[in-house]
Amino acid sequence: MTTNPTTRDAEGSAEGALRLLHNGNARLVSIFGSVDENGAKRVHYIADVNREYRCINVPVIGALPSATLISPAAAWHERELHDQYGIDIDGHPDLRPLVSHPADYRFLQVQGVGVCEVPVGPVHAGIIEPGHFRFSVMGDSVLHLEPRLFYTHKGTETLFEGSEITDGPMLAESVSGDNCFAHAVAYCQSVENAFGISVPPRGRSIRLVGLEIERMMAHIGDLGALCGDVGCAVPAAYTARIKESLLQASTRFFGTRYWRGIAMPGGVRRDISAENARDLSSVIAQAAADFADMTHIILDTPSVLNRFEGTGVLSTKVARDLGVVGPVARASGVRIDVRHDHPYGHYRNITVETPHFQQGDVLCRARMRIEETRISARLIQETLHGLAAGIISATVPRDGSAEGFSAVESPRGELLYWIRIRNGLIVRCHIKSPSFQNWPSLPFAVAGNISADFPLINKSFNLSYSGCDR
Amino acid sequence: MIFDIIKRSLSSPRVLISVEDLFTNAEGSRMPDVDAMSLTASIARRVVDSCGICALAMDDVDERMVLSLDYGKCIGCGHCIEAGEGAFFIAGRILCGVDRQSLVRRWDVESGTEIVSDEVAMTDDANQIRSIVGRALNIRQVDGGSCNGCEAEIGALSNPYYDLERFGIHFVASPKHADMLLVTGPITRNMAEAVKRTYEATPSPKLVVAVGACGCSGGIFAQSPEVVGGVDSVIPVDTFIPGCPPTAAMLLTGILQTLRTNRISPLRRN
Repeated sequence: MTTNPTTRDAEGSAEGALRLLHNGNARLVSIFGSVDENGAKRVHYIADVNREYRCINVPVIGALPSATLISPAAAWHERELHDQYGIDIDGHPDLRPLVSHPADYRFLQVQGVGVCEVPVGPVHAGIIEPGHFRFSVMGDSVLHLEPRLFYTHKGTETLFEGSEITDGPMLAESVSGDNCFAHAVAYCQSVENAFGISVPPRGRSIRLVGLEIERMMAHIGDLGALCGDVGCAVPAAYTARIKESLLQASTRFFGTRYWRGIAMPGGVRRDISAENARDLSSVIAQAAADFADMTHIILDTPSVLNRFEGTGVLSTKVARDLGVVGPVARASGVRIDVRHDHPYGHYRNITVETPHFQQGDVLCRARMRIEETRISARLIQETLHGLAAGIISATVPRDGSAEGFSAVESPRGELLYWIRIRNGLIVRCHIKSPSFQNWPSLPFAVAGNISADFPLINKSFNLSYSGCDR
Repeated sequence: MIFDIIKRSLSSPRVLISVEDLFTNAEGSRMPDVDAMSLTASIARRVVDSCGICALAMDDVDERMVLSLDYGKCIGCGHCIEAGEGAFFIAGRILCGVDRQSLVRRWDVESGTEIVSDEVAMTDDANQIRSIVGRALNIRQVDGGSCNGCEAEIGALSNPYYDLERFGIHFVASPKHADMLLVTGPITRNMAEAVKRTYEATPSPKLVVAVGACGCSGGIFAQSPEVVGGVDSVIPVDTFIPGCPPTAAMLLTGILQTLRTNRISPLRRN
């Protein structure tokens, strides 16, 4: 097995799952439903306890006790379960529809003299994905924000059902188009875990290179967008230029701008020659150096710091309670990183630093991107330098029945695929994207800020709508 | 600090790509092209089988075996190139910003020739492109439910390599300011109403360009009950830009080609 070591999925009771979550060291990863061949519903709980993934699956008989009261991170998972499987959740504080959009949906209303509601979206002003935000404001200050998402819900998980294993990456790549390689790798690893297949070292290394280039592109782009949001145009244009140099390098060496079509169950589809590996390494070094230069300018600009510092604070407590993941969690003092905590693929042979900050403001989230871009560049160069010889993929059985899951640290954080295969066909695929977990935390960072800072705070989280909505 | 920026700007090489190099360039799109001469019946059958999304099809037309490739569905997965024994290769050039029918190419398998129905001009007449330059166009981008892949590339249009603004083309914040809607798909059930209302809010005359495999046809999501379909299943569409996602060069080609064939200018507004 090449990926995060996991305990087997164990059958248990809902009370057992709740006890597991009650443990102070447990972090809820996902809750989702499945239907077995006899039509019986099951609910699966996955938690991370002391850096070990623990899974419990529970047969559904009647209503389930809500986990939300123990772990608020479960709130959206249980709403989705209620929406899509019609399972009653006992004691859940808010079971309004999450995925479906009935006409009579009621937003939470803040009442009082001088309180106004401001609806924004689903069509936004920029080149971004659709979603609705309902602000309750008093003057300039935001009292409450309720995001209403799932406008881009495409039923992706159900489209996996009935597909062949080899068609999976195609769907996974279109879950969140700017993190498509992380999705494809997480999918492939879940298949490999299910069948106990080991990816050859060279294939693992190329995957690491792709994952880290994707992270660099995402982080560099994010920082540029943050500068653009505060009117700092030169770094915005410059970072866009650096990002494009990485897209063009990916095209030159792998024939794809966003690393689509590279990952496949068992390994990767494209190799890289020694000469190209050297060239790619120098492109990465150049991009990292240019970016480091630019970040000094950004962090030395008082007008930028003035907007970033103290804006959109997400406290460590809220981040922990809501199971927040990725750079957003690390900027709020929650030191979790799948690459470090549950190493997979080539990450098992390489040291990943996990920088973190305490304040949880926009500045910390910006600095997380700066630090991680630097680390990613080092990881890519080290990997390309010591690229193992040999084949790039292993054979995956065309039929067979198995279950497995795998997590990957995508640019936005922990991304998990859980898959059930029967006679070579996928019968269930659950995708837990980092954005699904992080969206509920955004309102906590926005409350108390002025509404004009919302775009900046939202950008500093940079959550995927499509990844969340699927 | 400002001196650092000026120093950097002066010492950085120019990266802007000329319009001649961009127009119809499909590099990095992973989409296939066909070497008609190498096409055989067995290759044709194999590639049709290999295609995971039915962009390739084989038909009997007047007792002729006709292979068709629908760029409006193709996501560039590369399976046909692996199965095609050299008859399929990565496309270097693709014309974007054409009507839906023009995205479908057909080959007579036995004679090894492409069947060209109407004049699908694959010209890159630089003068004609330049005549478009200088005309102001305001674009409103609308995401009808995409995966954000198309948005990433549309965002790249503004970077210093492509610099869409050099053509007088701007992205605007409201449909009420727009001449063109650049709509990505697939249109989900939850977004259908918002896309229709955005279209209605855009003043006439207006152009609608459907972007990406999902925008052109629903793409890999076409069969989902949560999806209505391509952009043209909810609003009228003028032209289509294929690709998954279309590269920045393809988007630029599509926008310019749309202007070439659909003359819209502020003068017509009166």
